[in-house]
Amino acid sequence: MRDANDVWIPSVCSQCYSCCGILAHRVDGKVVKIEGNPESGNCQGRLCAKGVSGIMTLYDPSRVNVPLKRSNPEKGIDVDPGWVEISWEEALQTVAERLSKIRSEDPRKLLVMASVMTMDQMYFARLFGSAFGTPNSVWNSGAGNHCGNAEHLFGALLHSAWSKQPDTDYCSYLLNFGVPCGFGAYYAATGMAQRIADARARGMRHVVIDPFLSPTAEKADEWVPIRPGTDGALALAMLHVLLHELGAYDREYLKHHTNGPYLIGEDGCYVRERDSGKPLIWDAVDGVAKPFDAADIKDFALDGRYEMDGAAARPAFAALKEHVASFTPEWASPITTVPVATIRRITAEFAEAARIGSTIVIDGKELPYRPVAVLYFRGAQGHKNATLSSMAIELLVEMMGASNVPGGVLGQNSRCLGHPKTGRPSWSPVAGPDGLLVVGGNWSGALPYPWAQPKKPESMSLGGLAPTVIVSPASLPLVTLDPEKFKIPYKLEMNLHVGTNYLMTESDPKVSVAAFKDLFQVSSSLFLDEATYLSDLVLPDTCYLERHSLTAESVSSNSPLEEWCYHVRQPVVEPLFQRRNFSEVMLDIADRVGMREDFNAFLNLLLDLKAPYALDVSRKYTLQEILDRRFKSMFGEEHGLEWFQEHGVLKWPKRVEEVYWKPFVEVRVPIYFEWFLKVGEGVKKVAQEGGFDDVIETSAFQALPEWRPCASHQEKRSEYDLYAIYYRVPVHSFSATYNNPWLDEISQIDPYVYRVAINIETARRKGIKDGDWMDITSAGTDHTIKARARLTEGIHPEVIAMANCGGHWSKFLPIASKSDKGACFEWLLPLTFDNMDIPTFNLDLCAKVKVSKAEG
Amino acid sequence: MVFSDPFDSLKEDLSATFRPQREWAQRRGLLLISAHFLSGVGAGAWLFSTILALRVGLFLGLAIVLLGGIGHLAFLGRPERFWRIITRVQSSWVSRGLAGITVFSVFAVAYLVLSAFPGQAGPLQQGALTLSLVGAVWICVYKGFVWAVAKGIPFWNSPLLPAIFILYALRGGIAILFVSLLFTAQPADVGPLELTKLWIGVSSGALILLYLTVMPTTGITASRSVSELMGGALSLAFYLGVVFLGLVVPIAIGGLGYLTTLAPPALAVIGISSLVGDFYTIYCIARAGVYRPLIGEFPGRPTR
Amino acid sequence: MRYGMVIDLKRCIGCYGCQAVCKVENATPPGVFWARVMKREFGKYPNVRRVNLPLLCMHCREPECVKACPSGATVQREDGIVYVDETKCVGCRYCLMACPYGSRFFHAKERYYFEGYGATPFEEWGYRRHPTGVVSKCDFCRHRVDQGLEPACVANCMTKARHFGDLDDPQSEVSRLIRDRGGSQLYPELGTDPSVYYLP
Repeated sequence: MRDANDVWIPSVCSQCYSCCGILAHRVDGKVVKIEGNPESGNCQGRLCAKGVSGIMTLYDPSRVNVPLKRSNPEKGIDVDPGWVEISWEEALQTVAERLSKIRSEDPRKLLVMASVMTMDQMYFARLFGSAFGTPNSVWNSGAGNHCGNAEHLFGALLHSAWSKQPDTDYCSYLLNFGVPCGFGAYYAATGMAQRIADARARGMRHVVIDPFLSPTAEKADEWVPIRPGTDGALALAMLHVLLHELGAYDREYLKHHTNGPYLIGEDGCYVRERDSGKPLIWDAVDGVAKPFDAADIKDFALDGRYEMDGAAARPAFAALKEHVASFTPEWASPITTVPVATIRRITAEFAEAARIGSTIVIDGKELPYRPVAVLYFRGAQGHKNATLSSMAIELLVEMMGASNVPGGVLGQNSRCLGHPKTGRPSWSPVAGPDGLLVVGGNWSGALPYPWAQPKKPESMSLGGLAPTVIVSPASLPLVTLDPEKFKIPYKLEMNLHVGTNYLMTESDPKVSVAAFKDLFQVSSSLFLDEATYLSDLVLPDTCYLERHSLTAESVSSNSPLEEWCYHVRQPVVEPLFQRRNFSEVMLDIADRVGMREDFNAFLNLLLDLKAPYALDVSRKYTLQEILDRRFKSMFGEEHGLEWFQEHGVLKWPKRVEEVYWKPFVEVRVPIYFEWFLKVGEGVKKVAQEGGFDDVIETSAFQALPEWRPCASHQEKRSEYDLYAIYYRVPVHSFSATYNNPWLDEISQIDPYVYRVAINIETARRKGIKDGDWMDITSAGTDHTIKARARLTEGIHPEVIAMANCGGHWSKFLPIASKSDKGACFEWLLPLTFDNMDIPTFNLDLCAKVKVSKAEG
Repeated sequence: MVFSDPFDSLKEDLSATFRPQREWAQRRGLLLISAHFLSGVGAGAWLFSTILALRVGLFLGLAIVLLGGIGHLAFLGRPERFWRIITRVQSSWVSRGLAGITVFSVFAVAYLVLSAFPGQAGPLQQGALTLSLVGAVWICVYKGFVWAVAKGIPFWNSPLLPAIFILYALRGGIAILFVSLLFTAQPADVGPLELTKLWIGVSSGALILLYLTVMPTTGITASRSVSELMGGALSLAFYLGVVFLGLVVPIAIGGLGYLTTLAPPALAVIGISSLVGDFYTIYCIARAGVYRPLIGEFPGRPTR
Repeated sequence: MRYGMVIDLKRCIGCYGCQAVCKVENATPPGVFWARVMKREFGKYPNVRRVNLPLLCMHCREPECVKACPSGATVQREDGIVYVDETKCVGCRYCLMACPYGSRFFHAKERYYFEGYGATPFEEWGYRRHPTGVVSKCDFCRHRVDQGLEPACVANCMTKARHFGDLDDPQSEVSRLIRDRGGSQLYPELGTDPSVYYLP
């Protein structure tokens, strides 16, 4: 029997988005220890510094404990709102009245913001927004510029997954474009730390391409410093070497699993069979064109040029090969600063390590064995050239056939065949139009394929304009400022703002203030952070140790290997003070607004609640009842909430067909993104019709990769001579953890976390010494931030690097807002469409700056 | 700096290549340095007062040692447990030190009490005096060993350190007597004293120089300490305190003593200057102490 | 029987998980770091290495701190664990001067992590174990070891870089790792014979 005064309670962490299973020790009502739950596949019983430090987030005296309303009508970036305590009743009444009015007038006027930092609340907020009827739900602002954007696009198109991981069990060569995978950040942070360490011990070669000797690069076998924003050029040169110099590519894979054989006409589009409309391939044996899925194809041609009805056509692969002919290492070297010899050597190592043609037997099944992986995320794709650079990097994997097979790149939970007993949940990539991959059910963004015709945007993030946009943090503030320009017939009136600090994660804070200060902002928040300076009402939310939730199941078993794990998040202590779980508050608000039926209907739909567990739409349910039904609906009557509360984790082994799904699923992926051309034309047409083609420039909608310079590469003023970049450290999550005193203490001891890294030689030239304060002025925003220098040999001489999102200024975060607590990188980033990758609305994150020693 | 709390710089110190020791130097650590200084010069004063039969010096010496003892206790985090310090005489030089101070204090007090009743307790008095002298010598000797055997701080691990502490205790004792001349009617013959003083001053200086030249050869950490003294944050304290006040001034004034008879105020200046220098010497030795770098280029094997 | 730890620096990523979990497990107050991590850089651009070194008490077989301690507060157990009996420590800090590994910290006065707010419930509960005016250091989590558990930093290390076991048993995992991988101690020439080994 449990002694109620001394218990260990299984739950789920929320100090980042990895959702590690935890065991929390409660003694006499106090949380005294948090450990990793050994039953949890996500963390395997081990937590990062953030995870074990959650106690100090729970007990932080700066937390919001009561509902507050502002007394100062003036809103500004550092104008004290003059918080006044109010009752929950008054707060809820105010919110309900506002929402009712908006819903009856035009529900689109509601904006819902949330963040991956609070996955569970975001999930519920999205449901709430959808039920309410607004297309402006959810704006994922807390991760803001830290999101993978284009990486998610290609994750969907190529891997049927939100993101991906290397196969640490078998990979022998990991080419890593600056992803902190295995270093306490990125997805499955703790699990991957163990796996990457295992792989390192096993002898996996890890080559890290990064302007900064980051925590990842420092453990690599080889660090290749690169100029920011030029990763795409390096990848193109590698493609050139692979295809033209080494002739190293997986022909069988390209023939059978990609659109490489599809014939491309002179217009750049597929040559299609007249009647069926199916793309044609060239049968090299029969010497005729056949539909790609014809049963009698003897051999798919990858090379050559063929006459089709008097027009020339060539396989997509041949088009790609010709396309990269000019991207030699000699071309890429001056762009990237990576020596020609290094490019050739790394490419040769990579190609050799891929062991094209080899197979491996796992679980009695013979599978292709391609022990090479390529990773990229924020760093490589966070640029004006996001889509085309990402495409180039992805193609490295596709050329090797190292996609979702042993040793290669694995989509994160691309395929699930369900719990052995219920067969639920289940999803799988399927072949869509033209035989190409359509992402399975485990997807939380806009569906990029089958692609939808560009249409007049309806949402403030220009949703519907381009199907290549998965999440679009960057466009929303600009459109909110001037909806008329984009022919959007309404203005936002209210912001339901859930646990995100968008002022510190979402580029130039001045733009965010201008965009959102006139909205009635209701925040459910742990802290009075910078974003709440614009709030009208702040509701005290529970932290993850005080609440029940679904824990965002899309990532709740997000290790790519071994086990499926479904967790429950449950309160370790009852909510302190007047804090309330915002998911429960939303249920209340839905009632007050009179949208219970809609909300319940959406819950049934999106939580996939099947009879007899579907909600009666007219009944009011508690959050616990909803969770109970969700679990039972998925895993059977015996696995209700109570079972989960006791056991914490339900798990079952992953199958070979799930993890290495590619050989098992009849589906092709694109290496030639034919429809991007059509999307581009469509977007251009809509933009011209709407009169906003001056800001929506569509030349980046290309079928094949290129490298294009960012604004920072073209800065002409010579005093702006350095690139500023940011990187992630294992001890912080975005801006959210800076008031945690244990993590703050570590950050002070660490040589880099609170300092801006600058090359020793560069600093010497500028007369900057270690520890000096520096003025860092952005060429794009003209804003100057101050930070202290950390001189290092471990950084590209043209670059300065800062960690995460420090430099808080909210006086309600006494620890975080002290001097010398890092710098807020966002001040350096101009928010303009010009500075974005238009196909994904991804903002460029390499800022050109001038740096000088600060006075005093 | 000297009054700042070691806590405030701890986080910076922990990431420094050469972590400074602050607990025995800053804020409350000043109490410890003062106590070391006082008990040493007090013991020295007792020794020389016995030789020169300066009764005032005896009282002063005892008082100063007792003050030093109190300083030691006040430095402790848990002064109420002070008696525990004496429980590890077999291994700890701090235990031995307290034992020495205790022996000295008890018998010095006994001697002075007994000497208040002349003719009554000759052998007893002599016994007490002898034991007090043993205690005083013990105090002079143990100090250097406390520092010299502390393996955390390579700068201190010199066999010369005990010799330096002994010499400083002795010349400090003499300096106390110089100062005491201001307050005593005794027309003491200080001629030999002056010479002794001069000699000890010079030899201390020589020893310090020797010490500083020899120590760097034992490793990078000690060299780092030396460079802190000679050209780093401590150089002002070192040149002004240790060298100028502690050596140049007393030697110069003392040198004049060869040409002319020095008046008591001049002797007092020598004394005070010398004492200040002595204090700075201990302070500098303490503050220059840095720990070995723990992290090296080759994992697990620190760069030496 | 002599407990020891092996830290595999090839696996360690300098994530500070050990430092943080030690804070939680042992509720050490501000200014006391039983476990910590140091970082240092070597080489010239672009051939640069950064080394992470997790530190804790070395639990030396020949502990200088035990010799230095004048009050008998620092104790070496039969199983090699060296700990401070906080009821006996007088706070003279001589052990801080004697320890070559910077493992000891003086807990001068009651401080809380949220300055100006007093103790959090966690600190109210945890700081009872940490009286002021005494020296404090890693004790290999003896409360866990005595229950058959690994020290918290070993159990939680998310790259599994840490191993704990009996150095006197040549068959133990730690002994085997030291032998096979060439484990080394910090400053072995000082004669302290630390029980913490690092693998290259």
